[in-house]
Amino acid sequence: MTSTTGVASRAMAGFGKSALGRAFGSWLGKIAGGFLILLLLMAIFAPWITPFDYAAQDLMNGNTPPAWPHLLGTDRFGRDVLSRVIYGARTSLSVSATAIAISVSVGMTLGAAAGYFGGLFERVVMTVVDLTWSFPDILIALIFVAIIGPGLTSTMFAIAIAYLAQFTRLTRAQIVQLKRETFIEATINLGARPSHILLRHLLPNAIAPVIVVGMLAIGDGIVLEATLGFFGLGAQPPTPSWGAMMSSGTAQLFLSPWVIIFPGVVVAVTVVAVNLFGDELIRALDIRDRIRGA
Amino acid sequence: MTALLEVRNLSKQFTSAGGPFRKARAMHAVNDVSFDLPKGRVIGVVGESGCGKSTLARLILRLIEPSAGTLRFDGQDLRAKSPGEMRRLRARMQMVFQDPYSAIDPRYTIARAVLEPFKVQGQKPTQLPAEEVAALLSMVGLSPGLASSYPHQLSGGQKQRVGIARALALRPSLLVLDEPTASLDVSVQAQIISLLQQLRDELGLTFLFISHDLRLVRYFCDEILVMYLGRVVEALPDTDAAARHPYTATLRESTFAVDPKQRRVITPLEGEVPSPFDLPPGCAFADRCRHARAICRTDTPALVAHDGHAVACHNPL
Amino acid sequence: MTMLEVRDLEVAFGPIAPLSGVSFSLSKGETLGIVGESGSGKSLAAMSVLGLLPLSGGRITAGSIIFDGQELAGLPEPAYRKLRGGRIGLITQNPMTSLDPLQKIGPQVDAVAVLHLGMTSAQARARTVDILGTLRIPEPALICNRYPHQMSGGMKQRIVIAMALAADPDLLVADEPTTALDVTVQAQIIRLLDDLVKERDLALVLITHDMSVVAQTCDKVVVMYAGRVVERGTVTAIFDAPQHPYTQALIGCIPGAAGADEHLTSIPGTVPTVLNYPKGCPFHTRCAHMQPICTTDVPAFVSHNDSAAACHFAGDMK
Repeated sequence: MTSTTGVASRAMAGFGKSALGRAFGSWLGKIAGGFLILLLLMAIFAPWITPFDYAAQDLMNGNTPPAWPHLLGTDRFGRDVLSRVIYGARTSLSVSATAIAISVSVGMTLGAAAGYFGGLFERVVMTVVDLTWSFPDILIALIFVAIIGPGLTSTMFAIAIAYLAQFTRLTRAQIVQLKRETFIEATINLGARPSHILLRHLLPNAIAPVIVVGMLAIGDGIVLEATLGFFGLGAQPPTPSWGAMMSSGTAQLFLSPWVIIFPGVVVAVTVVAVNLFGDELIRALDIRDRIRGA
Repeated sequence: MTALLEVRNLSKQFTSAGGPFRKARAMHAVNDVSFDLPKGRVIGVVGESGCGKSTLARLILRLIEPSAGTLRFDGQDLRAKSPGEMRRLRARMQMVFQDPYSAIDPRYTIARAVLEPFKVQGQKPTQLPAEEVAALLSMVGLSPGLASSYPHQLSGGQKQRVGIARALALRPSLLVLDEPTASLDVSVQAQIISLLQQLRDELGLTFLFISHDLRLVRYFCDEILVMYLGRVVEALPDTDAAARHPYTATLRESTFAVDPKQRRVITPLEGEVPSPFDLPPGCAFADRCRHARAICRTDTPALVAHDGHAVACHNPL
Repeated sequence: MTMLEVRDLEVAFGPIAPLSGVSFSLSKGETLGIVGESGSGKSLAAMSVLGLLPLSGGRITAGSIIFDGQELAGLPEPAYRKLRGGRIGLITQNPMTSLDPLQKIGPQVDAVAVLHLGMTSAQARARTVDILGTLRIPEPALICNRYPHQMSGGMKQRIVIAMALAADPDLLVADEPTTALDVTVQAQIIRLLDDLVKERDLALVLITHDMSVVAQTCDKVVVMYAGRVVERGTVTAIFDAPQHPYTQALIGCIPGAAGADEHLTSIPGTVPTVLNYPKGCPFHTRCAHMQPICTTDVPAFVSHNDSAAACHFAGDMK
């Protein structure tokens, strides 16, 4: 049996409940997945669960160490670190997820078209896409900052472009491999139009690994967002962002280390959780070979 | 008898472009093949791997575009058809594939797979979809209860039956069978062959049967085309006709009898099928032929018929 | 002289027992065919003889394998390693994967004699050239400097056979040696194996799904179905008067076996997989002669001339 069919048939339920259920099956999956759900809830319900206004300054109480009522302490403007970390989750997750969503949609469209039509079109698309890959992420971000100025929009575009090549290549690889399957030839022979082949057979069979890689990329996107924030190219004050918070904490690294440590820890734990859960999903869907093939 | 399918001088050349590190190469996968397939007949195409038999099947259905030659299906020039016309015509000429394991989309239920032909052709089944599925599955000897199963829940033989049901859904007149039993167990192979025979009688189908198995072709077909390196070297008008091409004779000799008392001391053919790239002039079989003469290495023999039995050999047996 | 005797072999992978009650024996100069469809356990029987079960997590739970007087069941791996490739040669189905693509043919074959016979590489090379010559490979000395990808499928299979012969084995196990090859090449290889058995007085276990290959080469036959032997005997007895309905069907479903125009026997249903081996007689789910007893009791062997069939009604039907 050819690998794709076997794999696809085992992942037949696709990206349905069963795969997610199986990803949650192991204790690693439970911990990582649980953390991510918690983070997501925190981001969604931030206004209701934060003890303080994330932007409220209290200069008299600047740089206070973790203690009641500021559980994670305050920064030099006396802003509550916990509230800012919770709001930061909102910024980080939404920016990263939106950027990756753009990247996945564009990448899948380009990759599917390139893989299906082949020829000169494929070569042009893949060359352009590979070109974006050869620039460092920071440089891409700088270009956007130069064009539209610093801020979350630039960050979003920078992340979207930084990961575009990965999704385009992955989708194209899937499509090229699937195109050789007998069921595609059989369906062409039934008299199916290219759109039917592409939308009813190729894409549905190619989607699972792309989604999983997309999910893993959200973790990377969070790091990139934090990095850009750290350099002042991303979120602008007073918007709370984990990267920007760490950046502002560097000035008092030894005086009030909690300002830099807590956002740092949250970034690290989030990225680890995303990767662990992504790994569990890959195992549950049994698509490791297909992801590596890209 | 009218020919349902007329194949004339059909050729396919694959070329690999040259580059700084390699020469451009040309391969004649199918070379100047002509034959008529009359309505209701079964023609077998037999040959070893690389002889071009599977490419021939795909050229006839225009799944691969021929390099030269003409194809007439039911009097219509297939190669003159626009993509849209060709798509509609496909309803009448179907194929059963060698590998049943990958012939159905793993994400499709059996019911959806069997109804897909109607969907892509924009046709409505004559009965309710569920009834149509049940009828098609019963026709190929499957329980209608399998309709909601996925391909991975079926055995190889069952999947091949689904493949046949899909191919027959639109009531085609021509069915091209590309080694339909080669990846199945022998006991299941017999089931599928019997099913195909029964369907042929019931539906009045015309078959082109591609196989490497001379025994199977002899059993199943009315006429046999023997291919070697892209060419038809012999066209046997009936399955018991004596072989006139040395290659056909060797192929027959190499096919073992299923009887320990008939152990033949066969003189196996020396050597193997040469590379199909950049073939030398002359008969492609000359290097392995015991009867080869000087002319065999310079002139390509033409396929010449004598009493309906055509052979491409300078020195036929 | 009996070279190999397998008695009541039972193999388990965890709770699953894909092989049980397998017995056969063979002597020098004999070819034994183990025939069956996919999932019949025929390759597993060969792996057990070669001590390769632990690789995939299986173990022998009962029975014995006696090779030239030595018990192999439970033999530790280091001792097995000396036998394998040495006194027991293996020919696999796919020659493409049996050869190292990065190494020239000569050194690959030489290594066997160096390892098992303690030869120097010069001695081993002389021996390699000699063996390649006996396998009717043209210009053996030149072939030694070729890489596997430069050779055709049939030629590669001959190299694999040469490797199996390099240490002068007493027993050769060939697992579907011609399945991946074209008909004309299959005929060459089968004839070659046949000659080797006679010339070198080898014992050959030939595993195949093809009854015609069995008819042409074997002296004895073991027919396997769903992890059990259903019939065994001499090749003439098996083909003249098969007693087990499965054997009869296996011969009958080959086109032209029973006569040119006779209808194919087809066996309804599908081959059971190891996860759903039937109780009682393993064939009862597909057997036309099934009776209530077949669903509950594993049939004992009933002898008939030179064969024995495990069927409750062996001899009663034709």
